[in-house]
Amino acid sequence: MEWLSKVLLTTLLLLSVHTMGAQDEPIVILNETDTIRPTKYIAPLTEKPKLALFQGFTLSADILGPIIYLFSDYGSTEAALRLNLKNTYFPIIEVGYGKCKSTDVETNISYSTSAPFFRAGIDFNILKNKYMDNRLYVGARFGLSSFKFDMSGPNMTDPIWGGSSPYSYHDAKSTSSWMEFVFGVQVKIWRNFHMGWSVRYKQELHIGQPSYAKPYYIPGYGTTTDTSCWGGTYNLIFDLNWGKRKVKSGE
Amino acid sequence: MKRLFGILSVLALVACSSNNCPLENIVTCNYHFYDREGVAIKYGDTFTVTTLLPGTKTVYIYRKLGYTTVTVDRPDTAYTNAGYTETIATARRDTVLINKASNRSYVQVPMSYYNKADTLVFAYSSISRRDTIIVQHDAYPHVELPECGTHFYHNLRSIRATDAAIDHVEIVNPLVNNEKKENVKIYFNGVVE
Repeated sequence: MEWLSKVLLTTLLLLSVHTMGAQDEPIVILNETDTIRPTKYIAPLTEKPKLALFQGFTLSADILGPIIYLFSDYGSTEAALRLNLKNTYFPIIEVGYGKCKSTDVETNISYSTSAPFFRAGIDFNILKNKYMDNRLYVGARFGLSSFKFDMSGPNMTDPIWGGSSPYSYHDAKSTSSWMEFVFGVQVKIWRNFHMGWSVRYKQELHIGQPSYAKPYYIPGYGTTTDTSCWGGTYNLIFDLNWGKRKVKSGE
Repeated sequence: MKRLFGILSVLALVACSSNNCPLENIVTCNYHFYDREGVAIKYGDTFTVTTLLPGTKTVYIYRKLGYTTVTVDRPDTAYTNAGYTETIATARRDTVLINKASNRSYVQVPMSYYNKADTLVFAYSSISRRDTIIVQHDAYPHVELPECGTHFYHNLRSIRATDAAIDHVEIVNPLVNNEKKENVKIYFNGVVE
């Protein structure tokens, strides 16, 4: 009897040990070609808090345009108000004032204008990390300027039939529009103050012109020597954090 | 590095001084030639195109029975010595625009800045009669770019011609500018075989 009880107890212990082992270790079927590799450490996922839609406004001013005007016949000054949505989308309005006063040394034709211009568009932050204060962006603008210009030149003399008259027009009206494609950089300098630059490819859409002259310079666009041109800005930028919430409430 | 900077500076200067004006920066009305059926031709006869100018001039007309009447701007004793009768008269001033052209498929003719109509006289070498083309147009000054200077552009309003060698004329593009497009078709008598 004592022998029987020992056999039963030993059998139960063996069964219980086998069952416990089956619970702790996975059953792995290894082929002969498989090699055992060390398990890679995977850090536990920590979700960044989602950015709130409204991230404040940005106010910027261009300093390149006035500098260009110091060294050439034309230039502009402009400021921009940009809305920050999720640090990703930046609808923007740009308002400026362009000026040109030039006389061609060969033909002696003078052109002058000074007028405001307006642009509206959107920038897109292409940096992967949207939490950074620095930004790399691409964007597009629609530009519009309604302005008056003066153009005058030497008398026009008919070399065959004769006759002469002055070439002089004042307050000629033009409403012109264009598109801009923007690539830019913005870097945080100190607290809410950023600096940055942008390069712009500009394409004429419509040049309003009277029969006697095509406007030589369009405020906000530049000279009309071709149907497209390049431009740029160097911006001083201030983040205005009115009502800004960094993350969504409750997270 | 200095050399690179120098090269870039020169390139920048060259870029700044580029001229964006068209190579042929002259405004002309372009007359292209066709036969009566509208087939483009090269007009084989030698012809001269003159235009009438404002004002009059004194001309000397020499006539002789059985000979062609000759009109010249200056007196010529050779004709009087040959038995011609000299008559002094006044005529419209004129000037030659195209002198003795031949085998041409088109002509480019300037237009007046301040006249409402231009009169072109086509004189042919093979026929004694001449053709007169009168083209009415509105002229207006235009500056495309200050560096290109001032030009007069024109809008053709109407055109008519006599019928010595010309069958009829037609305006195909009324805007006359420096783009060198065909403006007028001149259909000559006859058909190319």
